[in-house]
Amino acid sequence: MTDLMPPEDLRVDIGSIERSLSEIWRVQKKEGDDEAITRAALWNVVAHTSSSIDQAQATQVLCQTAAVVPQRTIIIQANPSAPPDLTSWIGANCHIVAGNKQVCSEEIAIVAGGDRVHRVPPLMNALLIPDMPVAFWWLGDLPHENEEYVQALLDPADRLIVDSSHFDNPADLALVTKVAEQTTTAPADLNWVRLEEWRLAAASIFDPWEMRRRLQMIRRVRIIATVSQDEPLFGENVGALYFAAWLAAQSGHQVDRDGRVEGTNGPIEYQFDRRLHTRGGGIAFAEISFDDGSCATITRDREKCVLVSNVDGVERTPDAVTRSLTNKPHELIVRQLKQPESDKLLVKVLPIATRMAKRVVR
Amino acid sequence: MSVAAAPPVPETNPLREGLEQERVPDASCLVIFGASGDLAHRKLLPALYSLAHDGLLPAGQTIVGFARPDYTDEAYRAEIRKAVDEFARTRPVDEAIWNNFAKGLFYVRGDFSEPEAYNRLKQKLEECDRTRGTGGRRLYYLAVPPSFFPVISDLLGAEGMVTDPEKGGPYTRVIIEKPFGRDLASAKELNRVAVTTFRERQVFRIDHYLGKETVQNLLVLRFANGIFEPFWNRQYIDHMQFTVAESIGVEKRGGYFDTAGITRDIVQNHMLQLVSLVAMEPPVAFEADAIRDEKVKVIRALRTMPVDRQPEFVVRGQYDDGSVLGEKAAAYRKEVNVPADSRTETYVAIKAFIDNWRWADVPIYIRAGKRLPKRVTDISIHFRPAPNPLFRRVPGVRVQPNVLAIRIQPDEGISLKFDSKVPGPTVRSAPVTMEFRYATSFGAEPPEAYERLLLETMLGDSTLFARRDEVEAAWAWLDPLLASWAKGGDPALYPAGTWGPPEADLLIERDGRRWRRP
Repeated sequence: MTDLMPPEDLRVDIGSIERSLSEIWRVQKKEGDDEAITRAALWNVVAHTSSSIDQAQATQVLCQTAAVVPQRTIIIQANPSAPPDLTSWIGANCHIVAGNKQVCSEEIAIVAGGDRVHRVPPLMNALLIPDMPVAFWWLGDLPHENEEYVQALLDPADRLIVDSSHFDNPADLALVTKVAEQTTTAPADLNWVRLEEWRLAAASIFDPWEMRRRLQMIRRVRIIATVSQDEPLFGENVGALYFAAWLAAQSGHQVDRDGRVEGTNGPIEYQFDRRLHTRGGGIAFAEISFDDGSCATITRDREKCVLVSNVDGVERTPDAVTRSLTNKPHELIVRQLKQPESDKLLVKVLPIATRMAKRVVR
Repeated sequence: MSVAAAPPVPETNPLREGLEQERVPDASCLVIFGASGDLAHRKLLPALYSLAHDGLLPAGQTIVGFARPDYTDEAYRAEIRKAVDEFARTRPVDEAIWNNFAKGLFYVRGDFSEPEAYNRLKQKLEECDRTRGTGGRRLYYLAVPPSFFPVISDLLGAEGMVTDPEKGGPYTRVIIEKPFGRDLASAKELNRVAVTTFRERQVFRIDHYLGKETVQNLLVLRFANGIFEPFWNRQYIDHMQFTVAESIGVEKRGGYFDTAGITRDIVQNHMLQLVSLVAMEPPVAFEADAIRDEKVKVIRALRTMPVDRQPEFVVRGQYDDGSVLGEKAAAYRKEVNVPADSRTETYVAIKAFIDNWRWADVPIYIRAGKRLPKRVTDISIHFRPAPNPLFRRVPGVRVQPNVLAIRIQPDEGISLKFDSKVPGPTVRSAPVTMEFRYATSFGAEPPEAYERLLLETMLGDSTLFARRDEVEAAWAWLDPLLASWAKGGDPALYPAGTWGPPEADLLIERDGRRWRRP
């Protein structure tokens, strides 16, 4: 049983953050039982935000995350158009384990405005716990136009966590691809993680041997993305792009620089459509058609909250779609932090999705 | 005109790549024989619910309880709901998940020796194949005393309810609970019966210790960290201690326990599994048989105990009146269903040796007991002391051996004891510990052992299950000892709430060592 306690933040001088954190633990150790409080960290998790709303969200999500994966949390709010300032707070995310033991993770908040924003990367570097991996969660849109700043922040990062459903431009996706290809930072995308149930549904269609044969007979793929407005944000298409890129990559299809797809038997049509929905950014429907005129579909049964596949008229609920329950932000981040290695499949899919993005942006 | 050859069909589904970490088995029918019993209520069904809660059970997974009492499906579900409310790790119970789980829960009434009951069971299973997509896949969990195993096994075979894996098609697996016999001869007989109906790879022998996270972590600790393996041998390790202590007595199991004793109940299975995991050589692959091949070599290398010199190697004890955790505790001979003149051991301490290159002459002290001061399972690796004479004449420094302690339960974790200078102007040393605790580092409580083991049987991975030769090798080592005890002699008495009889202290102190206080 885990009880979360809200952090009590304490404003401190930038230059004495570490000293102030040590002081908190020293005082608590003196006051409390020797066994009562344990300070723990398995990761450094840095969240980068550009607004107080995002900062509040990051604080809440990482407080929940720290209860499962102990971490030093650093939350940055950087806004170049705000007045020049640099301030910091410290706090602790504590939870009770094994009945009476309090396990605490440290949290540092940094708010930077104006030209002080450029002081953030070295400050953040100095605050990382040595020998612990660094996950960098970028909330909102990636500023591809300010690549230098992004790279400075990502320099110590082992993992870059984004949510591509918030991207406003294909260049953001291209930037993540570039990070994957040219740096040692492994990308992770919450939008890709949410897609797991769709990948699982599609995979289970091709489990039987006779269906695996049909994987090489794909003639056309149609994917309907859910979008929240007629002129959707680019990011609302990324789920569909990832699904298509994944299917192409795993089926051995070749995707050229303009996003055209070629299979062993000739061109394959990948069609991207949209359907208005209150929550955009997901997939509503996928249809895979084969050379022989047959097709397989995947759709969501909203009543049962499960995906249903239909192959040659036979409906089936794929395995373990119950995992669709775990799409809350903190759960998605926990899943990323529990993965010791980079997601090689995402690294493979990213450049293909970037090329296919040219098909959805006209 | 030439026609291009069709590309070969891939052997595995390429779309499954990257999804493997979240392994989900195909839906199957899990039949629990003894579904009204304690094990099913306290462990199996709560574990299955927790698996469902964590999204690890496939849609369509079906559980069929099979036992003598008369339940309807609804009545059985109500009964199991109470058990889940009380014992599941994932509480409070989520109504939506429970409702979905309960839809796949059925009950068939029957006597284990009644062929007609198996016919009813078969019809039920076939109905589930049609309605729930279980595809003929069968798991038979025998949560029953071993005496029922032959009849259940025979009737399953006779009713055509077991498939042959050599012929392909849906799988059939059987899960059996300890005790796997009471000596080498009976274990061999049990194994012989098993393979008349099933093939060895269809048999999953559950030792729930192997489902514990800390036990599985032994492999990771040893073989995924470069720092331990170089000194995991006789050159650096002085001795090892294995402790399985229980604060409870025999409770309602007096009748069974008195025919078994702690050596059969704990040492033959759980403790020798722990010893083999700690002492084995690196396996060639992280695969079931590669790991079990190495484990069985350790058990086979255990030096035969000279039964005529028992006090040097073995001490058996039995608890007497005393108190545990502040409560009065009656002597074993006063327990329900225990004869007043019982000679059954409730405590055993053994000094063992593994006669191989790595462990030659390194003593392994094993102790297990009931009514000890607390419940704890613990392994400690005691390193040789530092040879450095530097501090010999420094009065405040006492060089003590380093100890790596692996806590299996409760409060699972690992600690390393080493000496450190006490801050101050003089040179004084004190032992300190570096600690890793699962609960602290990983937040969530580890899953119950049965959850992991049930999932592994559904996935068909037998790594965490005892193989026939392991079981038989363990009996072969203990058989001479058990046979000599059967001839006579009394166990040494120890007051309930103490760490065993004084003879057990002598066993280790004679070698200049002491039991670690876990």
